[in-house]
Amino acid sequence: MIDDSLQALIEAVLLTARGPVTADAISLATDREIGEGAIEEAISGLAASWEEAERGVRLERSAGGWRCVTPPQFDHYLRTFHGIASRQKLSQAALEVLAIVAHRQPVTLPEINFIRGTNSSAVARTLLDRRLIRLAGRKKVVGKPFLYRTTKEFLLHFGLERAEDLPDPEDLVEPEVAADA
Amino acid sequence: MPRNRYVTGPVILPVVEVNPDLVELVPLGPSVELPFFCGPLDLLLHLIRKNEVSIYDIPILSICDQYHALIRAMQDLDLEVAGEFLWMAAWLLQLKSKMLLPRTETEEGDPREELIERLLAYRRVRELASILHDKDLVRRCIWPAGVIADFGDEELDLDWEEVDLQLLAETYLQVMQRFAAAHPPPIEVLPLRYNVQDKMREIYQRIAEDDILPLTRHLNRRPDPEEVVVLIVAALELVRLGAARAEQSVPFSEIYLRRGTRQLDEGSLNRTEREGADD
Repeated sequence: MIDDSLQALIEAVLLTARGPVTADAISLATDREIGEGAIEEAISGLAASWEEAERGVRLERSAGGWRCVTPPQFDHYLRTFHGIASRQKLSQAALEVLAIVAHRQPVTLPEINFIRGTNSSAVARTLLDRRLIRLAGRKKVVGKPFLYRTTKEFLLHFGLERAEDLPDPEDLVEPEVAADA
Repeated sequence: MPRNRYVTGPVILPVVEVNPDLVELVPLGPSVELPFFCGPLDLLLHLIRKNEVSIYDIPILSICDQYHALIRAMQDLDLEVAGEFLWMAAWLLQLKSKMLLPRTETEEGDPREELIERLLAYRRVRELASILHDKDLVRRCIWPAGVIADFGDEELDLDWEEVDLQLLAETYLQVMQRFAAAHPPPIEVLPLRYNVQDKMREIYQRIAEDDILPLTRHLNRRPDPEEVVVLIVAALELVRLGAARAEQSVPFSEIYLRRGTRQLDEGSLNRTEREGADD
């Protein structure tokens, strides 16, 4: 298959797929006629060319695959078009719990409560409902508390490939000790 | 002032004189807003930032006093102060008293160490949370392909003119369906139709007559799973009492029940019934 039709195939797959698509899955669809590497390369090329032009569609890599998304500046028009008033924001408490789960998963509610110094069960419930975190078994300690992990929806929402791609909070806080010395 | 005027979440307070050094009050019509704290660590970090002191060298005396003044202000306003804020207040008081006492040789390290650790860990979380917040601001505006199907649960704004009886009825049915899904019918527990003692008697008599009973084959002939369960319990009970012996030559092969070392009469069978009832 020549390069152009490969890119067209990729467009067709991405248009019709639900959720992120891996290069491996597309390679499998061609009965391995085209290797994963060639497809990855073609998608990257496609993503770059879409990025350059002023387009309403973009290719984005998240949660281990590629998917079509819109650029953020059209949000207002899209919401008006689809008649959706506004999307719920995440509260400060929700962001804190999400940050703890993302950084220390798997983690239990008592551990989250300890770090935040306050009860977080209602917030965890909300995040579970919004499918940003999920239950991942129980910790083998007294009381067998539930363990929490982030979900694929979390990765997609924040445009991450893996939860580990979040920056290390240690690097974010400027070293205060040096300033004191 | 009626209590139910207060809401949780961002705390809206009625206008009361509060020391402006302690609280940043933002006038908001007839009421004022107190910066909302996500717990005592958040409040402490706020005080540390406000006083421009180092987290590694917290002036416990003044921070403790400010913390308590703030908590008192909240209580004066008839606000319910959550238990964790009071717990932190107690911890700060304890640290304050430790800091006031002269250090002894035997004491190890800085009494503030644990508090510093907790604050540092919490500050790291805050940093990560603020990154997520910034990302969320942009990312929430990005739409994936075919997203509309996912908005099924989203609250839709309806014009009152568009609401008719049909829609009302449909909505009612949806609510009832959700209710039914969330409240499945309870599991009915019927009284037991078989009695362990009867089955013990039955097995015991079979072994007494034939000297041997192939248990698995015996169980396979019973179509009723409840009877099978009672039979297994009865067989186990007989083996426990020593009235039967179970043999199996290789794993998963037939289990044979044979006569045990102990003779059972009606009396001892009935006794096991009482024991069973006691358990």
